[in-house]
Amino acid sequence: MVFRRNFLAWTKYYRSSVLLNFGEPLTNLLALGFGLGAYVAKMSGVPFIQFIGPGLLAVTAMNAVTFDMTFEAYDRLNQNGIYQSMVTAPLTVGQIVAGEYLWEGVRSLLYGTIFLIVLLLLGLVRSWWALVLPLPLFVTGVLFSAPALWVAARASNHEQLFYYLTLVITPMFMFSGVFFPIGRLPGPVRDMVEITPLYHVVNLVRALILGRLRPGLIGDSLWILAYTVGLAFLPVRVLRRRLAE
Amino acid sequence: MVVAQGIVKRFGDFEAVRGIDLTVEPGTCFALLGPNGAGKSTTIRMICCLTPVTSGRLEVLGQPAHPGNRALKRELGVVSQEDYLDPSLTVKENVELHGRFYGLEFQQARMRAGEWLEFMQLGTKANAQVRTLSGGMRRRLVIARALMGSPRLLILDEPTTGLDPQARIVVWTKVRELLGRGVTVLLTTHYMDEAERLADQLVVIDQGRILRRGTAPDLIEGVVGRDCLEIPACAPHQTQWIASTLGEEAGSIERQGDTVLVFSNNMDGVIERLRQACLLPSPYYRRRASLEDVFLRLIGRDLRE
Repeated sequence: MVFRRNFLAWTKYYRSSVLLNFGEPLTNLLALGFGLGAYVAKMSGVPFIQFIGPGLLAVTAMNAVTFDMTFEAYDRLNQNGIYQSMVTAPLTVGQIVAGEYLWEGVRSLLYGTIFLIVLLLLGLVRSWWALVLPLPLFVTGVLFSAPALWVAARASNHEQLFYYLTLVITPMFMFSGVFFPIGRLPGPVRDMVEITPLYHVVNLVRALILGRLRPGLIGDSLWILAYTVGLAFLPVRVLRRRLAE
Repeated sequence: MVVAQGIVKRFGDFEAVRGIDLTVEPGTCFALLGPNGAGKSTTIRMICCLTPVTSGRLEVLGQPAHPGNRALKRELGVVSQEDYLDPSLTVKENVELHGRFYGLEFQQARMRAGEWLEFMQLGTKANAQVRTLSGGMRRRLVIARALMGSPRLLILDEPTTGLDPQARIVVWTKVRELLGRGVTVLLTTHYMDEAERLADQLVVIDQGRILRRGTAPDLIEGVVGRDCLEIPACAPHQTQWIASTLGEEAGSIERQGDTVLVFSNNMDGVIERLRQACLLPSPYYRRRASLEDVFLRLIGRDLRE
């Protein structure tokens, strides 16, 4: 039902939402891919734009849910009392959170798939394995919803949400192998990148699009699942406390 | 419908509710009165199963009230102090969705939404955006929404705060209609006229405790006196004379600015006595005492800041 609420609400603003969520990665893709790409030799054996395309797809999935689960969730809790009215009607906090995850999973899947189609049109999809992508995209959506919702539930103003975006999301975006292979990074930095969830999502998405399947992907998938399960319960307690105030 | 025994709510060091007992009989309207910060809303939130009691026994519809009791929540209709409407949805969608949260099937939710919107005189606004509604309409919409679960107990937290007189009257009429249908109503308010019109039983709460309880006429007679005589522009020494002349005859006397208020259950006698003592200046003003007088007597006239 929470899913239905979000879907209904989304149908009212999907045009601007889709545009905003695509504008940025698409600009990155085209500007960096064609612009910078002209000066960059092949990366991991493929043209630069071919390298960053799948990486940006992973980022699109992450951002699609991150913005919704930070600012929107903050407003649902603090401005328009949507969560409050949901617990008045007999929904539990667990159900609300589950509904949000479900919706964000679908959102991530949807936005990721549209980006996939763009890549396809640019001739950047190299493998039928790309057809499997909706599943990891869904999981990615759930994964990144959890910490964002946790931050939103703890934040006491919008500025604190920006901390999460600039201190967590943006560095991840820059370092997690979206724009360059992490092999040449100094050791400690590389170690840090390797424990970020986005890094593993990027690996998986890129492998599926390029058709470069290898055993290491099982490890990536396990990391993603572990993060998803591990983080999923994080916001429940905070939200429960906030809603019982 | 509601039985509370010694319920206490503590937030850290602060005790918002300090031991409240109350019983709400089925089919009646029960009002909690009190100034801002008296503990009304906290009490209500405990009864709505939104926040747990710190200690004491609280039963609603025969079940223990706590946030985990979903079966109980489903039986309640709650109109919270803030509107909490979903600005992204239309009027109808807000109500329907709430019905779905209550576990109604799609068709059923749709039907009931239509009925309750009609009941709350919002039928023509079904497809309007929530942000285009006036304050009164928003309030009616919140009530329609709270009715989606066909509650036996409807809980209204300051239902008419901030509404214009017409909108308040519509809300009152609808609440009385619901009472007529056998719904039990529990409301908080700091409008005395609202409590006087609607409530069968009421309690006055201050600083987390119940000061008085009873029906409106009982409280008026018991706390101040049935009638009130207002004598404006009265000097302090005149007040003294009036008090000593009346003696036991006056229920009570108080000063409000330079006006003297004399309360009594036997106002004819009071006026006669004052006239004989030549202490009745004109103009004077006789009126029925109201709950407001009771409230001010119990809580005090001073602004608390």
